[in-house]
Amino acid sequence: MSELKRTQLYDVHVAAGADMVDFGGWEMPIQYPTGIVAEHLYTRHACGLFDVSHMGRLLIEGPERIAFLQHVLSSNVMALDIKQAQYAIIPDENGSAIDDAYLYKFNEDNFLLVVNAANTEKDLAHLLPIAKDYDCTITDISKDYAAIAVQGPKSKEIMLTLTKGKAITEPMKNALNIVELEGHKAWVAKTGYTGEPLGYEVYVKSCDAEWLWNRLVELGGKPAGLGARDTLRLEAGLPLYGHEMGKGPDGSDMPIFAVSLAKFAVSFSDQKGDFIGRAALTRQSEAFKKIMNRDFSGMDVLPKRIMPITLLDRGVMRAGMEIYRNGELVGWVTSGTMVPYYRSEGEGLATVITDETAKRSIGMCYIASDVLEDDMVEIDVRGKRLKAVIPPYHMRVDAPPFARPIIYGYEPAQMDVKVDDRAKKAVELIFDATHNHEWRQHQCINLIPSENSASRAVQLLCASDPSFRYAEHKKVKSFYDQEIFYYQGTKFIDRVEQLLVEQMKEYFNCTEVETRVISGQMSNMATFSALMDWKNRLDRKHTPQRLGYVMNNHIIKGGHLSAQPMGALRDYIAIDPVTERHAIVNFPVCEDNIYKIDVEETKKLIDQYRPELIIFGKSMVLHKEPVAAIRKFVDEQNIPTTIMYDMAHVLGLVGDYFQKPFEEGAEIVTGSTHKTFFGPQRGVIATNWKKEDLKYGLWETIQSRAFPGSVSNHHLGTQLGLLMAAYEMNTFKAQYQKAIIENAKHFAKALKKQGLDVAGDPEIGYTETHQVIASVGYGMGPEIAERLERNNIIVNYQATPDEEGFTASGALRMGMSEMTRFGFGFEEFDKLAELMADCILRGKEVGDEVTKLRSGYTKMHYCFDDEEMLNALESFSAKIGL
Amino acid sequence: MNYPNELSYSKSHEWVKMDGDTAIIGISDFAQDALGDVVFVNLPAEGDDVTAAEAFGDVESVKAVSDLICPVTGKVAAINEELLDSPELLNSDPYGAWIIKVEGITDKEELLDAAAYEEFCAQEG
Repeated sequence: MSELKRTQLYDVHVAAGADMVDFGGWEMPIQYPTGIVAEHLYTRHACGLFDVSHMGRLLIEGPERIAFLQHVLSSNVMALDIKQAQYAIIPDENGSAIDDAYLYKFNEDNFLLVVNAANTEKDLAHLLPIAKDYDCTITDISKDYAAIAVQGPKSKEIMLTLTKGKAITEPMKNALNIVELEGHKAWVAKTGYTGEPLGYEVYVKSCDAEWLWNRLVELGGKPAGLGARDTLRLEAGLPLYGHEMGKGPDGSDMPIFAVSLAKFAVSFSDQKGDFIGRAALTRQSEAFKKIMNRDFSGMDVLPKRIMPITLLDRGVMRAGMEIYRNGELVGWVTSGTMVPYYRSEGEGLATVITDETAKRSIGMCYIASDVLEDDMVEIDVRGKRLKAVIPPYHMRVDAPPFARPIIYGYEPAQMDVKVDDRAKKAVELIFDATHNHEWRQHQCINLIPSENSASRAVQLLCASDPSFRYAEHKKVKSFYDQEIFYYQGTKFIDRVEQLLVEQMKEYFNCTEVETRVISGQMSNMATFSALMDWKNRLDRKHTPQRLGYVMNNHIIKGGHLSAQPMGALRDYIAIDPVTERHAIVNFPVCEDNIYKIDVEETKKLIDQYRPELIIFGKSMVLHKEPVAAIRKFVDEQNIPTTIMYDMAHVLGLVGDYFQKPFEEGAEIVTGSTHKTFFGPQRGVIATNWKKEDLKYGLWETIQSRAFPGSVSNHHLGTQLGLLMAAYEMNTFKAQYQKAIIENAKHFAKALKKQGLDVAGDPEIGYTETHQVIASVGYGMGPEIAERLERNNIIVNYQATPDEEGFTASGALRMGMSEMTRFGFGFEEFDKLAELMADCILRGKEVGDEVTKLRSGYTKMHYCFDDEEMLNALESFSAKIGL
Repeated sequence: MNYPNELSYSKSHEWVKMDGDTAIIGISDFAQDALGDVVFVNLPAEGDDVTAAEAFGDVESVKAVSDLICPVTGKVAAINEELLDSPELLNSDPYGAWIIKVEGITDKEELLDAAAYEEFCAQEG
């Protein structure tokens, strides 16, 4: 046997007292004196450090590197943007895995392919002869660079110390970056093999390896060996070559599609040509799809699949043990052991991870493809048949910063919604609603930026008769585009609607407005649907083409789901055949202000992608959107596109103090009417095209996608209320808009003065909108927001652009609309800032003081309150009995 | 590593303590250290017959499973049920965490005293 290889960190492991073992020809630490269980748990609650320098690091360079990689990997290399990584499998012609790998694109000139340590030589023997047919080279740089995996909820904090607070990578999984760690160059990937939602793999020059390892330990990371690495990846359901890939327990070649991850790792893009294994993988993919539809006629191609398995009886399962279903051998355990976890208490967002630990006997198995989730099976544990089940998964990572164990059979507590005595419940509902109304309207300070309260006039109108009516109507060309109603009794609402449209045109200073859409999201869906319909209007004989490219704000950078494929854009956005992803390109943001679009970089992307639709607008918004600059650019460059501004959040700010969208060059404005605007909850679509314009046809399409495309009944009661709101806005907007923006700037400064960490540029008073964003500590958002609610201050917790998702939110998002309408000025916002700082920073209970402050401000401002109106309201209220 | 003098040891790393006619059996400090984190213990039932030099149960660590070899022949008088829920006691307190008690002893493996066992471990380790 040849001598065992050692990594750059061998001496460090030995000095730390690690048990060193032979792992694929490498002398590696299996565990440190703390032991596997402690190392596993420390990674889950703090930060484990893993020496992964034994893995093969291959640099792929040369003009034909992409063609080569497309040929030898299962994945679509073209889908990889710069500073991104992807999981890939190296297939053989039979569709089995030679190895699995990670492909990194740190820069434009080369790719880094990281393969399993034990397979590196085999991989090179496979890849090198093929590379000869391409103008590219493969260099094994494993000796030149060391790799350390820094994994767990504290990993981000530790890494941020080393980067001196500079962003490590984008918060998304598989993001890459090249950074300086206290003066040492490092190539960092947001990847890992532990399932941790926060975790990095850091590559440094070999000479920096010991320094980095020791520094990470000083900062609170703890060494973890291969034992913990195995239990962590097992709990996360990640396959290990040699267990879940490669040769199966029966000696047969396991098809790649046996692992569900293959769905993502295998691409059949035309770009990939006739890549190795394509034919076999195509057959597997077809069989996989059938199996997913519970059609088991393809089981000859994919007889078994890799599934998680949980032992229900006491015992431990181990790789190689047989699995039986009704006495019939259906598969084998591929990995299994007893895995520790922290117990948690409470439900939902209030879930608390305790210090108490437990263990569970879990594993993965290679099992007949017709075995389904929740099926009961038996494992032969050294002659004893023990009961086991196929769970959906062992762990979930969609609530960062923690990986959460999913215990089979656990049922979360449900709210009691059983009703025995309906009459009693009906009365109770009235009392509860009364309490809620009083609390939210009179006792709470509401700072939710997407909310506002309506005047009494608006509220009464919303509750009056039209709430129960229909008034479908449509323009008819034969009647010179007059609106023709389908029902009788609608003359009043006809007049209301025409008045509303005119008021909104005046507000936007534009030619056309559609008010039948009942939400902001619906406004966008109707608009996207119309854009797609318009695009295909000259060819009705083919399946319509979707939109692409579309430029928008990334959801994590403040974009709203109503402009994302996950939301309103889903059914209208194309898949780019080259990248096989949604044809979306995001506005780049300024490096020194992640809340602001980088105009110069945006221009480059517009030039590159030629987006057919550009959607401005955000739900986390501190700045004006650069509409005019981008309009100027697309006009100069003659780029055909449509510029849309989703003004949902800032609809009530249209004008001198914020932005005039149509004057700046937007063609379509959508929005919701109840955030900064004064209305009840509805949507609106506006445009400035004139009848003679080509795109007026698009406007007509938008109208037809509103009705009958989106609504039949367009909720007449709130439309009536919205007319009053529009009267109010057009009358009071100058004072209101000035007040709200000044209040926001003042409140931001006041919070800062109280010691809170306020986001944004202090030079401009932190904000140019109604919103203020304050950081309260990574992952602390939900807890602080809940604490504020107990103290009668309602805010929403918010993930900032460098955070992983809403459960990891470290900020509060606050809007000034409602309290400005209730008459708050600088003095009141000063007091509020003090109370919030007392509650957040000093843990004081301030609920009573908040209610006291609120009690002086229950009268609605910026609405009609002359005697004639008050008398009219009294009479209206009496006559309608409300 | 700890080798209490009052105990006898088998070469398969179990310890035995005689309490009148009853043998109390556990695993040695050396054994628990070699196993690593013990995560599960498989025990016989009370009243089961056990045979010297044969397996009476097994201990599972995260890494692997190992048989427990009985140093005596007899009948299981008691099992340490605490180990079913807290197998890690074998790591934290190997000489306090007994595994089984055996009575009616008819046969016995050749056992080592503490000094001889320590020497045996030194050769193995």
